[in-house]
Amino acid sequence: MSDNFKLQPIQNWLKKNNWFFYDHQLETLNQSINGYDILLIAPTGGGKTLAGFLPSLHDLINNNSPENKLHTLYISPLKALTIDVHRNLTNPIEDQNLDIRVETRTGDTSSYKKNRQKNVPPHMLMTTPESLALLLADIKAKEYFKSLRYLIIDEIHSLVNTKRGDLLSLNLSRLDTISPNCKRIGLSATIKNKNSVLNFLSQKKKSKIINIQEKSSPKIEILETENRVPWSGHMASYAITDIYKKIKRSSMTILFVNTRAQAELVFNKLWHENENNLKIAIHHGSLEKEIRRKVESLMSLGKLDCVVATSSLDLGIDWGKVDLVVQIGSPKGIARFLQRIGRSNHRFDEPSKALLVPSNRFEYLECISTIASIKANLLDEVKDKDGSLDVLAQHILGVACSNPFQIDELYLQIKKAWPYRGLKKQNFKEVLEFVRNGGYSLKHYEQYAKIDLNKNNLYAIKNRNIRNKYRLNVGTIVEAYMLKVKLGNRTLGQVEEWFIEGLNEGDTFLFSGRVLEYQSITNNNIIVRSTNNSHPKIPSYAGGRLPLTSELSFQVRKLISKKEYWKNFPNQISDWLKLQFKFSALPSTEGLLVETFPRHIKNKKRYFLICYTFEGRNANQTLGFLISKKMQRMGYKPISFVATDYALAVWSMNEVENINIILNEDIMLDDLYEWLEETPLLKKNFRDAAIISGLIERTIPGHKKTGKQVMFSSDLIFNVLKKHEPNHILLQVARNDSYRGLIDLDRLGDFLKRIKNNIVHKKLDRISPLAVPLVLEINRQTIDKSEVDEYFLEELENEILLEVGLN
Amino acid sequence: MKTIEFYNHKLQINKEGILFWLEKEIAIVSDLHLEKGSSFASTGQFIPPYDSEETLKKLLNVIDNYKVKKVILLGDTFHDKDAFHRMPSKVRFLFEELIKNYEVIFILGNHENKMKIDSINFYQEYVVDNVRFIHEAVQENINQISGHYHPVASIKVSSKKITTKCLIHTNNHIILPSFGVFTGGLNIHDPVLKPFISQDSNIYFLTKKSIYKFSNKEIESQY
Repeated sequence: MSDNFKLQPIQNWLKKNNWFFYDHQLETLNQSINGYDILLIAPTGGGKTLAGFLPSLHDLINNNSPENKLHTLYISPLKALTIDVHRNLTNPIEDQNLDIRVETRTGDTSSYKKNRQKNVPPHMLMTTPESLALLLADIKAKEYFKSLRYLIIDEIHSLVNTKRGDLLSLNLSRLDTISPNCKRIGLSATIKNKNSVLNFLSQKKKSKIINIQEKSSPKIEILETENRVPWSGHMASYAITDIYKKIKRSSMTILFVNTRAQAELVFNKLWHENENNLKIAIHHGSLEKEIRRKVESLMSLGKLDCVVATSSLDLGIDWGKVDLVVQIGSPKGIARFLQRIGRSNHRFDEPSKALLVPSNRFEYLECISTIASIKANLLDEVKDKDGSLDVLAQHILGVACSNPFQIDELYLQIKKAWPYRGLKKQNFKEVLEFVRNGGYSLKHYEQYAKIDLNKNNLYAIKNRNIRNKYRLNVGTIVEAYMLKVKLGNRTLGQVEEWFIEGLNEGDTFLFSGRVLEYQSITNNNIIVRSTNNSHPKIPSYAGGRLPLTSELSFQVRKLISKKEYWKNFPNQISDWLKLQFKFSALPSTEGLLVETFPRHIKNKKRYFLICYTFEGRNANQTLGFLISKKMQRMGYKPISFVATDYALAVWSMNEVENINIILNEDIMLDDLYEWLEETPLLKKNFRDAAIISGLIERTIPGHKKTGKQVMFSSDLIFNVLKKHEPNHILLQVARNDSYRGLIDLDRLGDFLKRIKNNIVHKKLDRISPLAVPLVLEINRQTIDKSEVDEYFLEELENEILLEVGLN
Repeated sequence: MKTIEFYNHKLQINKEGILFWLEKEIAIVSDLHLEKGSSFASTGQFIPPYDSEETLKKLLNVIDNYKVKKVILLGDTFHDKDAFHRMPSKVRFLFEELIKNYEVIFILGNHENKMKIDSINFYQEYVVDNVRFIHEAVQENINQISGHYHPVASIKVSSKKITTKCLIHTNNHIILPSFGVFTGGLNIHDPVLKPFISQDSNIYFLTKKSIYKFSNKEIESQY
C-alpha cells in the first residue's frame, strides 16, 4: 500500500530503524490527499507528529520542492516543541539526503536568521502563534505565504478557547485569504469536546476527525512510603528518599512538579540525597534559555538520569528513552496528567508507567480519585468561549501594519475565525475605533490616530513607528515584570519583581538549583552570590498552581463521605479522617460542615471560618469573595481567605456569630454585582486586556523606559473608565475573563440552595485535623485590598498610641 | 482631618491630600497634572481623557465645603505646556469655576516651564506670614510647603506591605502628595527624598477612608 504513496525515502529510513508506518499515519496521508483537513486525535507517543508531516513530506518528495518558497508551516504552543520537532524531522531528511530545508522561528531566533528566513524562506517553518502573528504583520506577508500548501498545528487542544487560540484563529483566517488551497492538519491529545477543536481548525465541508484510541491503559501507582505524609505543604520532602530509590532503578526519569518553587526545592533535596552521583537536571520557565536548551538536548541524547521539570516541559516533547514519570503533587487535571505520563515508554503499544507522589494528605485523596477517573475514562472539558475583543484589537492593528484593508472585507474575514463567528458589526466597529484613536472624538486624539482612511478609502497605519511598536506588543501572554538574577557576570534566569520585594539583603533563596544570597538590585538586575546556607527561603513565584477539575473534586467528596472506602487508604490517612471525626465532624454528602475557631497569627488573635464545600476551587473562590463582602458589611473585618478545591477558609479580626446569615442565598443577589466590580481579579484582567489591546505598552525587560514612556498604571485608568465608560470594550473583556476564570455561579447557586437549613456548625476551641492543610496553605487570596489595609493601619496606629499612652 | 502644628500655625490635612490653613482661609494642593491622560496620545497610547474632569471635581467638591477664599496650587497644575489648550470644554468650565470662585495662586512647576497663558500668572514662590510656598523643596533653613515629589509611603503591618499616598512633615518642611487622579508616586525612602526626611519626621498615610500618622522611626521599625 505504501507504494501508492511513493514515500520510499521515509520508508527506507523507518526500515533502517526497524520501524513501520502506523495505520493512522497512512490514513492521515490518504485523507489529506483526498482533500480533507484533518484533526488527528491520538495519545502521546503514537507517531502523531510524523503523521502530521507525512502529507507535506509526500508532496515535497513527489512534486519536487519549490525553490525558496514556503511550503509547510508548523505551529506549536511551545518554543521547546518547535526545536524538538525540528530535530526529529531533520533525522530522516538528512539520512535520506532529501532536498528539504527545515527551520525554526520563535522569539529566541536571532534577528540575523529571521531576516534570512524572510528573504530565503525554508520549505518548512516551525513557529509559534506569536511569531506567526509577527510574520503576518509584515508588509510582504502576502507574497511570503502565497505558496503555502500545508499547515500543521500541534497540541491544538491546548490553544482552543484561550486568548492565544483567538490570536491564532484570526491569523488562520487571514492565511486562508492568502493561500486558500492550503491543507490543514491539527494534532491533539485526547479530549472531550472534539468538535469544537475541529471547527477551530477548519470549517470546510471536507474536514474530518481521525481518532486513535489509547491501546493500553497506563499503569499508575501512588508512592508507598514508611514516612509520614504531612498534613499540608506542597513540597513532598518526606518522599525524596523513596523517589531517589526509584530514580536509581530506572534508566531515565522525568519528575514533574506543579510550580517552579517545588522544582527548586525538590531538585535541591535530591541533590543532597545523591550519593550515587546520578545526573540530575532542572528545567523551568524562569531559567535562562541556554540552560533550558542544554537540558533538553542532554535529555534527548539520553545523557541524564533525571530531570525535575514544571509544565515548561509539558507538551508533546518526544523522549522515547524516559521509562518513568513521577508526578509530585496532585496533577490537577486528567488530560494534562495523561500527557505527562505519555512521556514514559514512548512506544505506542506499551503501557505508560507513572508514579504519583501526594505532597499532603488532601492530595493523597486527589491522587486516588485521579486514578479512579482515568480508569472510568473521564476527560476534562474546556468551556467554549467567544473570541476576546482585546485580541481582536491587537489583530486589527497587525493587519493594518501588513497592508491597508477595506473595512467590510476585514469584518467578513474576522467572522470566519471560529471564536469570532458571532461577532457583531457594531462591536467590530467599536474595536476598530478603539485601535484608531482610542475611540475618542477629540481633536488631539484624532491628530495622533494610529490608522486612518487613505486616499483609496482603505485603512492604513499612519507611520512606520506604529509597526515597530506593534512588534514589541504582540502576543496574548502578559507576564509579571521580571528581573534578571545575576551571579557575577552570569545570568541564571528571571524572577517576578514582587518576589524580590519580600526579600531583605542577606536573605537566601533557591534558584537554578543553588542557594543564593540576595545582595541588591542594580539596573533592574538582582545581584546575588553563592552561599552554603542550608536553610534557604522558598521562593513563592506566581503562577503554576493548576485548578482541579470538577470531576476530580466530586470523586474526592465521595471518598471522604463513605467510611467503607477508607480501608483502602494507608493507615495515616484513615487515622487522620478518624481523628477529624472524633474532634469535630466529617463533611456530609448533602449538607455543609462549617467550623469556626480562634487562632493566633503573629501574636494577634484571629477568627477562622472553614466551609468544607467540595465544590471546586472556582466556586470556593467566588464564595470566598461573597462571604467576605458580607462579613465586611457586618463589621467582622475579614482579612483574607484561602480557597482550595475542597474548602474555603476565611479569617477575620472579629468572630462571626451567625453562620446562617453569612451563608444565606441572598449573598448571590445583594453582593454579586458590587463584589464583581471590586475584585482584584477584575483589575488584573483589565491590566492584561489593556496590554493585549495596546492601550498601554508592555514593559519589556532590559528596555528602560524614559520620560513619556513611563509605564502608566492600569489601575488608574480602570477607576476612571468605570465611572465614565462603564461599558468600555476593555471593561467588557475584563468582566468576561473574570466570569470565566473564577465564577462557577450556577454551581454555587445550587450549592447554597442545597445547604439551606442543612449546615452543621462546629464551634471549636482550636484548629481541626481537616483544617490544618487549609490554614497552612500559602497561596492566599486577599480581599478588596484597600479595605483590609484600613483595618491594619487602624490596628497599628491604635497599638502605637497605646504604647505611648495616648489612647 | 488631622492637625499639623507648623510653626505655631495649625494646619489641617484631609484624606484627599488637601492642606487647609483655615485661620487664613487658604487651601493648599499640589501636582494636579491636568491633561496627563491626553498627553500620551502622541506616543500612540490613547489613555482615556477624563482625568482633568475627575481631578477638578474632586478638588471643588472638597474645598466648597470649607470656608476658604484662597487656593494655592503648588505647581505642576498642568501636565505639559499644551495641556491648557487640550482641555475639553467641560473641563474648561470646571477650571473657570475654580478661578472665578477663589483667588487661585499658581506656583510654577517644572512641567510648566515653557507654558504661556495670558490668564494665568505663575509665581516662583508665594509667602504668607513666615511660610514660603514653593514647588520643589529646597535644603535651606526656611519654613516651606512644597509638592513636586508625589510622595508615597509603605509600612509593613502583620507581614503585609501597605502603600499609600502620604504627606511628609519634617521640622520646617511639609511636602504634599500629588492630587491629580492620574499621578503616580515616589517612595519616601528614595534617595532624592532623603535630605528632607529624618527619624522623627511624621508621615501621614492617606487612604480612602482616613488618615493614619506614623513617625519615620515607627515605619522603619516595622521592617
